[in-house]
Amino acid sequence: MPFRPGSARARQRSVLLVGSAVLLAALVLAVVLASLLTHEKQEVGPKMMKWKDRGTTKNLREVILGRCYSYVMARYPELGDKDCLKIWESLKQAFIYKNPCNITSEDYEPLMELATHPIPCNKSLLWSKTSDLVHRYTKSNQNFLTLEDTLLGYMADRVSWCGDPSDPGINYESCPKRSECESNPSSVFWKMASKLFAEAACGVVQVMLNGSVEAGAFRSSSIFGSIEIFNLNPDKVTEVHIWLMHDIGGPQSESCSGHSIKRLKSILEERNFKITCVDNYRPVQLLQCVHNPDHTDCRLCTNTT
Amino acid sequence: KWKGEGTTQNLESIVIGRCYDYIGIVNPAVGEKNCSAIWEAFKNAFINKDPCNILPNDYELFINLSFHTIPPNKSLFWENNQLLVNSFAGRGRRYMSLADTLFGFVADYLNWCGQANSAGLDYESCPTTEECENNAVESFWRKASATYAQHSSGVIHVLLNGSVVGGAYPEPGFFADYEIPNLQKDKVSEIVIWVVDDIEGPDIESCGTHTVKILENRLKTLGYDVTCTDNYKSVMFLLCLD
Repeated sequence: MPFRPGSARARQRSVLLVGSAVLLAALVLAVVLASLLTHEKQEVGPKMMKWKDRGTTKNLREVILGRCYSYVMARYPELGDKDCLKIWESLKQAFIYKNPCNITSEDYEPLMELATHPIPCNKSLLWSKTSDLVHRYTKSNQNFLTLEDTLLGYMADRVSWCGDPSDPGINYESCPKRSECESNPSSVFWKMASKLFAEAACGVVQVMLNGSVEAGAFRSSSIFGSIEIFNLNPDKVTEVHIWLMHDIGGPQSESCSGHSIKRLKSILEERNFKITCVDNYRPVQLLQCVHNPDHTDCRLCTNTT
Repeated sequence: KWKGEGTTQNLESIVIGRCYDYIGIVNPAVGEKNCSAIWEAFKNAFINKDPCNILPNDYELFINLSFHTIPPNKSLFWENNQLLVNSFAGRGRRYMSLADTLFGFVADYLNWCGQANSAGLDYESCPTTEECENNAVESFWRKASATYAQHSSGVIHVLLNGSVVGGAYPEPGFFADYEIPNLQKDKVSEIVIWVVDDIEGPDIESCGTHTVKILENRLKTLGYDVTCTDNYKSVMFLLCLD
C-alpha cells in the first residue's frame, strides 16, 4: 500500500499523545495506590491522645527541681550527692514522647537508681487508707518515714505526668486513668517506688491501717496488700507492727482481732515475720484527739481505775 | 565571717519551684502568679546591700506580688511547735498557718543573705539575729508575720507548746512583737488559745498559768474575746485507759 507522508507524522503525534496519557494515568494510579496502601489513621496535623484523668502538672520541671533541692539541701543535707538535674532528666526520659499506655518499669530504672536512698532501720511506716493521718503523724514525728517522706515520694506526691508520641511529647491536657490502661506512667511509677520502699525496709516495720473502713482494714487489692507486704525482705525485717486506727467518733468496723487482719497476719507469718497489732496506737490517737479535744473519746475520764 | 549558716544551695530553684508548686498543686485557688517576678522581687530585697541593713519593708514588692487573701477563721498562729503546727494545719486544708500561705511557703526552712557591692548570694555564712537584727531572714519573717496578722479575720487560733521550759508564750517573740500588734480588731471576732503538750512530753504550762495567763490578760486588755483550751486532758484520758 502506498505511504501517505502526512499520516506518519500524525501517527507519531497520536502515539506520543496516547503514550503520555497512559503514563499520566499510570502515575495517578500509582499515587492513588500508594496512598491507599500506606494510609494510616492520622488526623490532619499532630494531635495528642485524649484521656480521662488530669494532665501533666504545669511547670513540672520547676516543681520537681524545687522539691528535689528542697529535700536534699534543706531537709536531708546528708543526701548532698544527689544530682537534681540528672534526676529530673531521668524522670523526663521515662515518659516523654512515649505512648502513656505502654510504660514499663524499665523506663523508670534510671530514675529509681538516681533517686532512691537508704532508709534507717525501724523507721519505715507503711500505710493503707490512712493517708491524711499518717502524713500528719510523720510531719509531727520525724522518727518515721512514709514513702512520701523519701526523696522519690516527696517529688512525685500529688504531681502527675504523661507523654505522647506527638510534639512536644508531654501531654498537659489529660493523662490516662488506671481504668483506661494499667501501664500508665503514674501507676507504674508508684508500684515500682512502693516495691523499692518495701525492699529498703529493715528492722521493725510499722503499718498504719484504717479500722473504720467498711471494706476492711486490710485489702489484697491495695498497693500495701499486693506489693509492699510481698517485697519486705525477711533477712532484713524482723517484725511488723500494725497500728489499727479508728476515726474519732467513727465506726469500729474492724479491730486487731478482725478478719482481714487475721488474713494479713497469716500472709506475713508465712514469710517468717513476727507480727504485733495494736488498736488505736496511743501517740497517733493523741494527734487525732488534738483535733477533737471535745469529743467523748478524747475527754477526761470520769471513773478512776 | 558571720556566725550563721550560709545561703541555702540552689535557693532560686527552690523558691521558684515552690511558687509553681503552691499555685499549681498546694492552693490553686490563689490563681495565676508570676513566679519569676516573685523571685526577682524577693532577691532584690537583699542583694547588693549590707546584710545587716535589710528592713522588713524591703520585701514590700515581694509581698505585693505573692499576696493572696487568708480565708476567715483559718488563721493559725503558733510558738515553739513547728512540727505540730505543720501536722495540725493539714497543709492548709484545716487551717492556713503562715507557712501555708504562698509568701510563707516559698521561704519556709530556708536561709539567705547577700553582700554589699556584689550581686551574689553569700553561701559561706550569714549574720545571726544576735549579730544584727536587720538581717535578710529576720526582716523577711517580720514582714511576712505582720502581713499575715493584718489580713487574718474571724476566729483566730493560737497554738502554744505547754511542754517548753521558759514559757508557752515567749516574750520577745514573733507572735508577741509582730503579730498581736498587727491584728485588726474590727476583723477579729474571737481568739482561741490551745496549749498543747509535746506528744508524750511534760505538761509544764496550761491555760490560766504563767506565760499563758500573761497572754490571755494582754489580749483581753486589748479588747479581744479570748478562750483557752488545754489538751493535757486528752493525755489524762489516755492514761486512764491503762
